[in-house]
Amino acid sequence: MIKKIKASRSEKIIFTFIFVLAIFFFGSYFSIKNKCLFVKDFDPKKIEFNNPKNIAILSVPCGNVIIELYPNVSPNGVKRFITLVKSKAYDDVAFHRVIKDTLVQAGDLEFGKRGNIDYGKIGTGKSGLGNINSEVDSPFDFKKGSVALVRTQKFNTEDSQFFIILKDEPLYETEYTPIGKVIYGLKALEKIKYLDKSEYVLRPDFINSIRMLVN
Amino acid sequence: MNIIISFLLFFFLTFQVHANTIYNLIKIPNLEIYETNTTNKLRYLYAKQPFTIGVDNNINCYNSEKKILDKKYKIIKKNLDKYDQKFLKKINLKYIVLCEDLSISKINTAGIPDNVMKTLILDIKFNEKYFERVIHHEVFHIINDSYKELFNEKLWSNFNLKEFKYAECSTCTDKLGLDTYKKTDGFFTEYSRSTASEDMAEVFSHLMIKSNLNDIDPILKKKIQFIKLNLLKIDQSFSL
Repeated sequence: MIKKIKASRSEKIIFTFIFVLAIFFFGSYFSIKNKCLFVKDFDPKKIEFNNPKNIAILSVPCGNVIIELYPNVSPNGVKRFITLVKSKAYDDVAFHRVIKDTLVQAGDLEFGKRGNIDYGKIGTGKSGLGNINSEVDSPFDFKKGSVALVRTQKFNTEDSQFFIILKDEPLYETEYTPIGKVIYGLKALEKIKYLDKSEYVLRPDFINSIRMLVN
Repeated sequence: MNIIISFLLFFFLTFQVHANTIYNLIKIPNLEIYETNTTNKLRYLYAKQPFTIGVDNNINCYNSEKKILDKKYKIIKKNLDKYDQKFLKKINLKYIVLCEDLSISKINTAGIPDNVMKTLILDIKFNEKYFERVIHHEVFHIINDSYKELFNEKLWSNFNLKEFKYAECSTCTDKLGLDTYKKTDGFFTEYSRSTASEDMAEVFSHLMIKSNLNDIDPILKKKIQFIKLNLLKIDQSFSL
């Protein structure tokens, strides 16, 4: 005859503890896996802007990043950026250079396109529109979220690549051409994939799209 | 081949990850911002730790106590404020690095100018007697390096007496005295006699600190005119 064995009180406690632990473990696993979990996605349609013509919406894996452009600070730089945005040239382009909590860089249209990345040359690609002159004379406070055009060691070599800083960089004033500032969604940029051992990212995150709020 | 290039590039780039903003801009490690809020947009940086740079790591400089740094910064700023932003941009000077016991190939030096990197490294512990003057002396080297064609050394040498010859280089001679002559004979200091560019820098620095020019000789007068005229070619609003 088989006797039904009842669990003791302490066994019940241990069982409950293991059950809670398992739920916590699996819950944490899926939370950590989803890097965008606590990132707010901003809907530009629900925000009122003072100057909607100068608003660009950068869509990245964790949501929208809303950038206000400053054509009065860098007319040529902003014009180039808008030209490329309107031709959808930045869509599917990699964030190929990312330094944790410091900056994200993208815009290599030649060697940074999804499905056609050239890791040996990434960061050196051109847009085909030619270089533009640096616009570094206007005062500009390079606060966290500032967007600027990339150049080589020489001035007047700006083209399509841009970077967004994730911390204040006062020394960038008069060094780089500022084109705008992130006004919403900086958190989404902090989640862009980076590597601990390299500034240049293997299997990087990509720009989904960049669009002007008003076409 | 592409795989090898990619691998080498990746290997090389992995060592850049710890480079900070200042290093990326001027290629000098271990620096921090001292002051950036200046009217002429000069950025003052200081050595937080000793650093070594240059060919074969031949340039060394050391960090300084905050007290000394604060004291010398005031003097340096007062002197460099004599140059406006427009002029500094033209001559390519933007970053001032403050450190102490600066040496190049184990020879102590007051400053190391680098117009390509827009940087002037200054030894803040350099002899107090000449400290303010050498700041301008080093600035002149930046000017000279940016406008070599204006400051022609042959033309300059022709101002001197025919029998006079400069040394091959500034450290190829023991003419290193920086005291200003009471009675000049074509030169402000003994160090002026070392090379043409050092001579020009000495003339410029004496002009910048408003030295007494009442009793100077005709050769020095010509040299002063030469410096003044060429500075006006760089910036018409520059006044000495």
